[in-house]
Amino acid sequence: MSRHKKKHKGSEAVELNLAAMLDMAFQLLTFFILTFKPSPVEGQINLKLPPPQPVAGAKGAPKAGENEANNDPVQNLNSLIISVFAAPNGRIATMAVGEANVAGTTALDGRLKQVLGPESGASFDQVILQVGSKLKYDELMKVVDVCTKQTLANGEKLTKLSFVELPDGATP
Amino acid sequence: MSGSLASAASAEPNLTPMLDMVFQLITFFMLVTNFKAASLDLSLQLPVVGSARSVDTEGVDLLILNIDKSGKLNIYGIARDIPSYIKGEAKASFESAKRENSKFDKKDDLPTTIVVRADKQTPFSLLNVVIKTCQDNGFRKFALKAMNSE
Repeated sequence: MSRHKKKHKGSEAVELNLAAMLDMAFQLLTFFILTFKPSPVEGQINLKLPPPQPVAGAKGAPKAGENEANNDPVQNLNSLIISVFAAPNGRIATMAVGEANVAGTTALDGRLKQVLGPESGASFDQVILQVGSKLKYDELMKVVDVCTKQTLANGEKLTKLSFVELPDGATP
Repeated sequence: MSGSLASAASAEPNLTPMLDMVFQLITFFMLVTNFKAASLDLSLQLPVVGSARSVDTEGVDLLILNIDKSGKLNIYGIARDIPSYIKGEAKASFESAKRENSKFDKKDDLPTTIVVRADKQTPFSLLNVVIKTCQDNGFRKFALKAMNSE
């Protein structure tokens, strides 16, 4: 009986010292609070950027001069050239699709819809952007933004771009 | 006398609820802490573009390049030499691709996506140096970072 009593007393005395664990937990908490830096929500534009290739005819297309009825100089070419000239302050001075000038990104959007869109019947699958060396990145992104919104004649989104640097002081 | 002693001995704060709360806070911070943010140079001002969308890049091999307005490449806050750094990363990407697919050839496009985080004031000539170096080393997939205007 007395043995039973002793056992009972012993079980009552068992207490965990939580202070040490709490200290450690607070240290971990401090570490995570101090290193916590919420990352900004950034967007991105995914592109496939092959190195610039010479402008070539689309695969399977008739060779130059074969179709005498064709009077469109860019028909059956697979690369569309867009030139973006920079002003001295790094803003867009002028833009041209092929050889035709366009005023502003809204006009560029309209022109690209005509040239690249499903109704155009064109065979373009990539765009070569000729860019003035002084053009600032945010201005370039406005042009890239317009380009990546375009849908090609085959129904796919335009993601294939190439960049070519225009020499300093290049003018249309 | 013995009663007062016993009550003095039992005057201990119950730490269990506090410990529970602290562990919950630790769990929260462990889950929301993203060590990838350390690779981002938050001093850069990204351009604002309407069609820029946040994309799930889970499982995609990314190489983040922070380019400031003077065209310097910053990786984890350290300025790096552009050609040598990109060459080293291209070699690592090729070896990784070769391990996964033994038929992977040097002519194939590298699977790594280059994430360009450039300051909006960066002139194209300086940005093009980085892009061209990446292309020369076999990278073809690019993601241009921008803030969404919405």
